[in-house]
Amino acid sequence: MIKNYLKIAWRNLIRNRSFSFLNILGLSIGLAMTTLIVLWVNYELGFDRFHEKIDRLYEVNNQYEIEGEIWTWNSTPKPMAPTIKKDYPEIEKVSRYFYDNSYLFAWNDQKIKATGTMVDPDFLDMFSFPLIQGDVNSVLNDVNSVVITESFSEKLFGNQDPIGKMVKIDNRDIFKVTGILKDVPPNTHFSFEFLIPWSYLTQQGWDDKNWGNNSVATYVLLKENTDIDTFSNKIVSLRENYDKDTPDIKTLLYPYSKTYLYGEFENGVEMGGRIELIRMFGFIAIIILIIACINFMNLSTARSEKRSKEVGVRKVLGAPRKSLIGQFVGESVLITFISATFAIILVLLLLPSFNNLVERPLSLNMASIGFWMVAIGVTIFTGLLAGSYPALYLSGFKPSSVLRGTFKKVDAMVTPRKVLVILQFSVAIVLITASLIITQQLHKVQNRQLAYAKNNLIYSSLEGDMEKNYDLIKTELLESGAFTSVTKTNSPITESWSNTWGFEWEGKNGQDKTIIHRLISDDGVVNTMGLELIEGRDFDLQKYPTDSTAAILNQSALELMGFEDPIGKKIKDNGIDWHIIGVIKDFVYNSPFQKIEPMVIEGAKGWFNVIHMRMNPEVNTAQNLAVAERIFNKYNPEYPFNYEFVDAAYAKKFNDQRTTGKLANIFTLLTIFISCLGLFGLASYVAENRIKEIGVRKVLGASVGTITGLLSKDFLKLVFVSILIAIPVSWYFMSNWLEEFAFRIDISWWVYLISGGLTLIVAFVTVSFQAIKAARANPIKSLRTE
Amino acid sequence: MLLQLKNIFKWVNSGGQRIFLLKDINLEVAEGEFISVMGPSGSGKSTLLNVIGMLDTFDEGEYNFLDESVHTLKEKHRSNLYKEYIGFVFQSYHLLDDLTVQENLEMPLLYKKFKGSERKAMVADMLDRFNIVGKKDLFPAQLSGGQQQLVGVARALIANPKLILADEPTGNLNSQQSEEIMELFKKLNQEEGVTIIQVTHSEKNAAYGSRIINLLDGRKV
Ligand SMILES: Nc1ncnc2c1ncn2[C@@H]1O[C@H](COP(=O)(O)OP(=O)(O)OP(=O)(O)O)[C@@H](O)[C@H]1O
Ligand SMILES: [Mg+2]
Repeated sequence: MIKNYLKIAWRNLIRNRSFSFLNILGLSIGLAMTTLIVLWVNYELGFDRFHEKIDRLYEVNNQYEIEGEIWTWNSTPKPMAPTIKKDYPEIEKVSRYFYDNSYLFAWNDQKIKATGTMVDPDFLDMFSFPLIQGDVNSVLNDVNSVVITESFSEKLFGNQDPIGKMVKIDNRDIFKVTGILKDVPPNTHFSFEFLIPWSYLTQQGWDDKNWGNNSVATYVLLKENTDIDTFSNKIVSLRENYDKDTPDIKTLLYPYSKTYLYGEFENGVEMGGRIELIRMFGFIAIIILIIACINFMNLSTARSEKRSKEVGVRKVLGAPRKSLIGQFVGESVLITFISATFAIILVLLLLPSFNNLVERPLSLNMASIGFWMVAIGVTIFTGLLAGSYPALYLSGFKPSSVLRGTFKKVDAMVTPRKVLVILQFSVAIVLITASLIITQQLHKVQNRQLAYAKNNLIYSSLEGDMEKNYDLIKTELLESGAFTSVTKTNSPITESWSNTWGFEWEGKNGQDKTIIHRLISDDGVVNTMGLELIEGRDFDLQKYPTDSTAAILNQSALELMGFEDPIGKKIKDNGIDWHIIGVIKDFVYNSPFQKIEPMVIEGAKGWFNVIHMRMNPEVNTAQNLAVAERIFNKYNPEYPFNYEFVDAAYAKKFNDQRTTGKLANIFTLLTIFISCLGLFGLASYVAENRIKEIGVRKVLGASVGTITGLLSKDFLKLVFVSILIAIPVSWYFMSNWLEEFAFRIDISWWVYLISGGLTLIVAFVTVSFQAIKAARANPIKSLRTE
Repeated sequence: MLLQLKNIFKWVNSGGQRIFLLKDINLEVAEGEFISVMGPSGSGKSTLLNVIGMLDTFDEGEYNFLDESVHTLKEKHRSNLYKEYIGFVFQSYHLLDDLTVQENLEMPLLYKKFKGSERKAMVADMLDRFNIVGKKDLFPAQLSGGQQQLVGVARALIANPKLILADEPTGNLNSQQSEEIMELFKKLNQEEGVTIIQVTHSEKNAAYGSRIINLLDGRKV
């Protein structure tokens, strides 16, 4: 019997080539897209899951209420970790993680930069980063020991045995390689190439006992069977005994497993995070699959007239309804299997570009049984989903009416089919609107007035001897003619690396804990960055030696402080009185999507990390860079010359949103395409069913235009209904999405005009293709078909 | 007695009015009879045949088939009954276009759960008997109307039914083809004792039967 079904199904497929083609094309694309999204979602959900002790690992967070608003952040003071270890017996292990930084490794003539940091020795015992060589319990015991990853070891030492090798790090101290780590996998939010014991920090005098300096991450491993709620209540007031200045900051434990996907707080409440993006695309994956299934249902049932005779005959010959349902479901499963095969090929072809787009190393694990089980499971499920309604519908025909020939020629557009089409197009319109709004929002932010000149500006980190030789470097850079202006700062112009609520000024409300960002700069910051002065002047230490304690405010800072006449006013920070010499327009730093927060640019009294250089636009860039490299190598020979273009660094801030935008565009296009495949098929059945009517009308003198209109009208009505449904739905989702950005567009009505209009046009073209074909057919021929 | 209809009524409601499709039909059919049903178009011939074939229900009256009272049977029972004892032949053949002649013949056997080897033998036997062995791998579209109806009759017969219901079996055929089919019916009836009820418009075809029933407006006359 199964063989018979398969035979019939196969012959049906071959005989109705266009029907099969539409179905298989739609399902293949739907399945392929769904697979890509599922691969991505699966990868994201598996992030950091490989740590064996994940269930007992927590990140220490702080929470503090400022003027009714609750702030939550995850950097902690350095003394926090030893204090927790000492005071709470529930804790098995703790480790701090100093922030990742890039250091220069030197061995023989090899000089390579690597990213890594300092951790407490228990770090490797808490997280599952396995050692290939070395003993977990002792690799980080010695102050001058370093553990490196396998691939970094290969880069540095080639094939030689790394254990016991002595390397010079950052031109400062010699470290002994004590262990080799397996490379850190890409699906964890750690990304170090080496680890150094915390004791090195202490030895260098970089450790401190300052509870006000929240700068490192602290992780704890709870003992087994510790009740987290009880323990949380206990640890929350940790600071009361230690932190003199801010004893009321709460200490919270946040499950490490949630840091990647969740970990965003708003007003003390967990607000999700990356998980929302994942949910959104997971939802889109399901929608696309459903839309592809809807196509199948619509095409199969619209074709019912062709199959009604078969149903009647089979029933008369003794087929029970069950077996007919089985047959039709079998057919849809067969089609789904064929589509799934194409889908897998499609996925394999598309994966490289998709990986590029989402920046993840996704792959189809074809060697695993699990993959095939899931693949076959999903295929059968899709087949059942798509085939169920047609099977129930088709198998319900009564043989007496079907075979007697009185079987009514049903309108191809019966109600359930209409509902399905409306559903498809509502989704399509919501997606188009979403794409338009995302694009518009991106466009608006990308064209935001930066209030500084990001082009022709590069920066380098100040490392090795550069700080010492800064004046020489600067002089030579300027004399070379390749650069017009140079200054050093504590952070790149695109970021703020320092902020505080500790500024004091005349008239400040003592309760005010608004965060003010600090940029620290040497001479000529306004000139080098191309900032826009509103009043006052740039730093100029030649003319005004006191400029080392001068400050330039941005507009927001000025508004916050409320000075009528700011120039000459004094503000206090870090125990120093800074005198204001200028005010600049708010320029964009950190996220271009958010509002610009108050910033004070402090004079040269502070510390520096970065050198900014404005290139001479008259000379070509390659030449400028060559000059810089020569000068840097001369004054800082131990380090390779590294630089970054400010405009490129700025562009990176859009990566995530651009990816979201691109994905949205792709899925929108495909959804519309799949929906139109269905519409195309339906329209062809409608035209076929009404072929006699069309013939009669033509003989009676109707024009091609009238007939096309007649046939298209019904479909366009459905699209109209879809527009009405889609508007409120998309408005709801997109206003929610936009909420996330302080700097955002307003949703304008023409977005709906465009998405609605576009859908109408695409639907009309699709339908009228069939309609015109039917309308132009020779009526004599069509009248003879009866 | 093969079957017995007693005071059968069938109607549809249309615009608050009751339209009778069958009115007070009484009919007894003995095994081995060959009956022709005649009457003008719309008189209810097909309806009557469908009721006898249990493809259609009726609204009033009694219907006994081989001592089973059809009117009291559940749908499932009823379909088992016709599956086992009744074969259908249609005016427009109703062969499945996607199956070959051989596969079309095999289909009723599949639904009756015959074993593979049995099915082969029975199909081969039928092909032989109807002289269509050479056509077994052709699709219906590749046959003439008469040949298609031959296959239709063979398919109706293959599971050895007691009763064959044929609704205008020669309606689409030319006179020579009609004659062949009628001869075939006659032979089946006389040599194998198959009971046949056929609907026909032609006096000549009706004459092949042993009895003629005339219908007018759903009533037996
Ligand atoms: N479901 C139904 N609803 C309403 N009327 C019906 C229905 N089925 C059949 N009829 C009517 O019943 C009458 C008898 O139909 P039937 O098909 O039995 O006629 P017939 O004698 O076979 O005619 P023909 O020789 O043209 O085949 C016709 O008038 C038909 O219109
Ligand atoms: Mg009839």
